[in-house]
Amino acid sequence: MLFNRDWTPLELSLWVSAWAGVLALVTGTGLAWIFARLNFRGKWLLEGTTMLPLVLPPTVLGYYLLVALGRRGIGPAFEQAFGFPLVFSWPGAVVAAIVAALPLVIQAVKPSILDLSRETEDAARVDGCSEWQVFRFVTLPLIRASLLSGGILAFLRAMGEFGATLMVAGNIPGRTQTLSMAVYDAVQANNLDLANQLVLLLSVITFALLFIALRIGDQVRRGSEA
Amino acid sequence: MHKPIVPLAIFACALVACAALPLRAAPQGAPATSATVAITVAGAADLQFAFTEIAELFEEQTGHQVTLVFGSTGQLAQQIENGAPYDLFAAANIKFVDDLAQKGLIVPESVALYARGRIVLVVNKQSGVKATRLQELTAAEITHIAIANPDHAPYGLAARQALESTGLWETLKPRLVLGENVRQTLQFVQTGDVPVGIVALSVADVPEVTYALIDDALHQPLDQALGVVSASKNPAIAMDFARFINGERGRPIMRKYGFLLPDEIR
Repeated sequence: MLFNRDWTPLELSLWVSAWAGVLALVTGTGLAWIFARLNFRGKWLLEGTTMLPLVLPPTVLGYYLLVALGRRGIGPAFEQAFGFPLVFSWPGAVVAAIVAALPLVIQAVKPSILDLSRETEDAARVDGCSEWQVFRFVTLPLIRASLLSGGILAFLRAMGEFGATLMVAGNIPGRTQTLSMAVYDAVQANNLDLANQLVLLLSVITFALLFIALRIGDQVRRGSEA
Repeated sequence: MHKPIVPLAIFACALVACAALPLRAAPQGAPATSATVAITVAGAADLQFAFTEIAELFEEQTGHQVTLVFGSTGQLAQQIENGAPYDLFAAANIKFVDDLAQKGLIVPESVALYARGRIVLVVNKQSGVKATRLQELTAAEITHIAIANPDHAPYGLAARQALESTGLWETLKPRLVLGENVRQTLQFVQTGDVPVGIVALSVADVPEVTYALIDDALHQPLDQALGVVSASKNPAIAMDFARFINGERGRPIMRKYGFLLPDEIR
């Protein structure tokens, strides 16, 4: 059972970041498409709100989430409906990581949607494609690289998430203690050997992924110049 | 365009391999049997050493698994108010337990005193600072003094009260560095980043520092109480652990770490 098992910090970080990465990528791509293509009242407000996590102190974000997801918010109703709580459990960490990662996905994907030539899509429509086919066979392949780098960035942001997660999910060994929590814990306990191991592990994983994301970003740029 | 997929796939495989590494921050519990229950205990940071030892003993004897979460009493109480899945709460000040019991978040009948704590002045051995009394903290070479945050950490509050009773608070206030809890406060002094600090006696016996008791008449008593969390799914095991702490196996350990036991409190 996913809620009773004992996670190592590394397992939990990968698990939470994978969920957050995928969900942030899907939501972020949808929002990026809306912001790039549609015009409606209050769009600036929605767009600004999704960017807020980039600039808000993590504690403010964490507090908002704690109030929204906890006992004073949707917490009791959510637990009744789904059978597991959002706060102080790993799904809470996933939510915090999604919110933190969303602006990065939107920033990565929105420019490539804006760059798309509408004529290519229209040509597909003339050839009889349905809207879904246009998206699936024309739009999606054209923005594929930015989706990949957006997804990796989201995953990385989730791996690095600390402040908001600490407030929403706590730091419970085996349950909500991710790698970044475990580092904080090890330093507090002056267990510097463990801290060194964890810090090295976290640095290697994030650096390697960041390197890959940057390479993909380069290819996208070169592709658009060609 | 297909190029990045290959290193990505290799990397994903490496990650999965990494996940199998036995890198555990939490100690592995007893082998699982059908009767094995896992409880989570939220303990004030001053209990880090004592409770780690007691929990190991309890796991050995009962086969149940105890996960310990340490933090400042105020932070843990706030987490319980927000629905944190703790089974037992061991506070550094009885007031926090009483408050939660009044709100229905702690089982009132389970509330029990289990220790009285003391504060000590700790000095990093390599700092070159010599201080055994609070009055010596005014020396110019002591640029920073670590205490736990008095707003939510009972040992920080006791440190503040002791400094106020000796009339040093206003003078020393600009030099204070606030730890989130008493364990982090000690860590500041252990690393030598802060030369002196005021922490709990129960965590002060570490190789990097020397310590001297602070007169307990200078602050309100640090009467520590525990209680079973109302939302606990394993209240019986949580109660067993509470009795274990306060029983013949737990008490010698508490005494070893410098706590006064409930029947020794005048």
